[in-house]
Amino acid sequence: MSLTTIILRNLRKNIKHYYLYVFALIFSSSLYFSFVTLQYDPSMDETKGSVKGAAALAAASVLLVAIVAIFLLYANTIFIKRRSREIGLFQLIGLTKTRILGIITAENMILYFGSVLVGISAGFVVSRLALMVLFRIIGLEEMAELRLSPGAILQTMLVFVVIYMLIIAMNYVFIKRQTILMLFQVASSTEQRVSKRSVAGTVVGISGLLLILLGYYVSTELFSGSFTSMGELAFAMIFILSAVIIGTYLFYKGSVGVIFNAIRRSKSGYLSIGEVLSLSSIMFRMKSNALLLTVITTVSALAIGLLSLSYISYYSSESQARYSVPNDFAFVDEQGKAQFADALDSQQIAYKVVHRQPIYVEADVSDITSVNVQSTLGDQPMITPVLSESMVEGIELEAGEAIFMGYNGALEKIFPSIGKGAFRLVGQSGSVELQLAGTREESVLYFMYSSGKPTIVVDDSAYEQLRLDIDPAVQKFTDYYGIDIPDPSAREQAEQYFSDEGLAESNKAFSQYADMMNSRMNMGLIMFIVAFLGLAFLITSGCILYFKQMNESEEEKPSYTILRKLGFTQSDLLRGIVFKQILNFGIPLAVGLSHSYFAVKSGWFFFGTELMTPMLIVMGVYTALYSIFGLLSVLYCKRVIKESL
Amino acid sequence: MVILEAKKVRKVYGNKFNRQEVLKGIDLRVEKGEFVGIMGASGSGKTTLLNVLSSIDQLSDGEIEIEGQQFTGMKEKQLAEFRKRHLGFIFQEYNLLDTLTVKENVLLPLSIRKLSKRAALDKFKEIATELGIEQLGDKYPGEISGGQKQRTSAARAFVHEPSLIFADEPTGALDSKSASDLLAKLNHMNAKHAATIVMVTHDPVAASYCSRVIFIKDGQIYTQLHKGEESRQTLLNDIMKTQGVLGGVQG
Repeated sequence: MSLTTIILRNLRKNIKHYYLYVFALIFSSSLYFSFVTLQYDPSMDETKGSVKGAAALAAASVLLVAIVAIFLLYANTIFIKRRSREIGLFQLIGLTKTRILGIITAENMILYFGSVLVGISAGFVVSRLALMVLFRIIGLEEMAELRLSPGAILQTMLVFVVIYMLIIAMNYVFIKRQTILMLFQVASSTEQRVSKRSVAGTVVGISGLLLILLGYYVSTELFSGSFTSMGELAFAMIFILSAVIIGTYLFYKGSVGVIFNAIRRSKSGYLSIGEVLSLSSIMFRMKSNALLLTVITTVSALAIGLLSLSYISYYSSESQARYSVPNDFAFVDEQGKAQFADALDSQQIAYKVVHRQPIYVEADVSDITSVNVQSTLGDQPMITPVLSESMVEGIELEAGEAIFMGYNGALEKIFPSIGKGAFRLVGQSGSVELQLAGTREESVLYFMYSSGKPTIVVDDSAYEQLRLDIDPAVQKFTDYYGIDIPDPSAREQAEQYFSDEGLAESNKAFSQYADMMNSRMNMGLIMFIVAFLGLAFLITSGCILYFKQMNESEEEKPSYTILRKLGFTQSDLLRGIVFKQILNFGIPLAVGLSHSYFAVKSGWFFFGTELMTPMLIVMGVYTALYSIFGLLSVLYCKRVIKESL
Repeated sequence: MVILEAKKVRKVYGNKFNRQEVLKGIDLRVEKGEFVGIMGASGSGKTTLLNVLSSIDQLSDGEIEIEGQQFTGMKEKQLAEFRKRHLGFIFQEYNLLDTLTVKENVLLPLSIRKLSKRAALDKFKEIATELGIEQLGDKYPGEISGGQKQRTSAARAFVHEPSLIFADEPTGALDSKSASDLLAKLNHMNAKHAATIVMVTHDPVAASYCSRVIFIKDGQIYTQLHKGEESRQTLLNDIMKTQGVLGGVQG
């Protein structure tokens, strides 16, 4: 029998072992190809240019290569392990290891590149769909046209050839290291003996937990003023990342086993069938799984965190726009406003005008903030715009009172704990002492006016007093005109005039709607990339866990046989399995969710104005999609149980 | 009192083109407190008989009753329930769960009973002392010897006081010292607690511990030997003789 016949026969015979591998390959190659196609597509140029999207896309594709490589290598380890018996048989009949590697490599080649080609064609379809979704998100009303780009095919092939080399290398090491005897044993060998859980295990577990908590604590302090310079901030971030990741690893290595062991101890040997299949089985593997679970947790946390942040910014683009452009249209000077008002008049569109005259004054708030504002501002005096009470609708102030406007989440982090109390506004020659009556999130000036500081509204007499005493050197804008269109149906028309008149180009007139669309367009692309990566993370981590469970349930098949012979029913066993899968999938998910919650919480205010709703939506969707893999694992185990007797 | 009664048990494997009749109508009665050995050459159908009797495998024809309950017509779930409550098993490959300690393995059949933890632990202590594994409670199967594993397996079979215990080549994987140890223990349990045991073996020495030995040839009962009042050595001699007649290829 020639080598070719052996290879072809093997391929036919092993097709049921291969399906997992084929799936992994088709999935990852189509994922990668669709991403690269998007990257190469000329219709992306517009979006690319707008946010330096090209760099973002390139960085994302590197990340994607890493995930795909890890995923395929993992799938390959399971795959080669399943075939160890056959490899042993080849050795037994006298084939050399090099020859066996040749057979495996040739077999793999047909399958591997066949799957990659299928994946590429699937990827082409997927990328077209993805582009349509992208255009939808960023609000481009264009038909998605995609060309099959040779560059994308080349890059995909190149990447997958390199991964193939890695796989061959891995198989080489695997075959080289095994003796005939060992090869026969692989399938039946257990992963790791449960060692006696000692004090050391507990210490490892607790220190892991402490590290995670420490990381969480530092993350909540991250932007509260404890870390001021850029270097310190970067150091703190790296510290948080490493503390949480190492902590997670130690947690899996120690705590989970210790907790389970304590539960098991308390039963003193009298375990229910559910505990037999869940606790003891997970404990049996927990130590060797620690690394894998850490990877999965980190990847999930990363995906959820990124998705939440980008969704937060997309979700709050409207309120963000309202924050930076408080009225439907905003004008820096009289001329722009008059031009636009004329256009509206001629079309008989009703509108309302507000006119505000900010003055810039130094504020001394050291008595009402908890941290040293000076250090945050870098020794610059805090110059804020000041308005009078009568310029802002809906504000009632007593004499000597003041209110901070535009005090949103981000400002709250920079100037925390502004309580009620006295502060001073310093003019050129004298100063005015005022009582802070409160803060509001709503902004009253275009965001460039206040440049990251609150706008202070004071009563009319104080305003007059300050206006006569201003320092000309620190004044920036003298007027603010806002135009609101009360009738929503006329707003679109007004928008049309606004862009027809070319007002936006002057950089002295702004539209809330255009601002929102603009940020949507920017955030849309980022969100799209992140969603794409998040999905890739989700599916790969889900698949890895699923493959692992497949592998485990096959290894545990003899146990199922014993239990069924002893008289435990299939549903008894299934209940235990369900519990096991809830723990298996639930623990990394719960830890990942918790990590991402703290990550998002530490910096969300830079991305938007709304935290809970978008974050919970992302977490909910992620959990739902992730659970599908848990369900698949249970179904797979169900089949194994059924076949076990 | 009759514990097990099998009538005209037949078992056919394969399809209509390739039929293989492994059991060709076996009748068998086991009384309470009996220690029955089933012997036969490889392929004679002794393990198939045991599997059919213990409800792990389905029979093609015939009837089996254990403690007056008919197997035929029972659903898979009912059969499992029946096994759990009324039967105990000892297998050649021990069939212990690697992930559980000796104690957990032994107490497994009790987990479905509404038994207090205290009572379960007492039970373990009692049975473990009798089988000489009380020191091994917290060890994992990977850490103990083959003989100890088989005694653990036996403890698991006895712990819930089943009406009938099936042993499939329990000494097959043991060295002779451990084997005779185990058989002595089985004998002891049989004598002291009147436990009913049906054991399949191809080892004449193992079979000589039984009170009755049934020989199977080509799916039928060939003959049986009763120990009666005689010594184990006499029975062993008889077994050897019978095997001599029974064994070999037809001339």
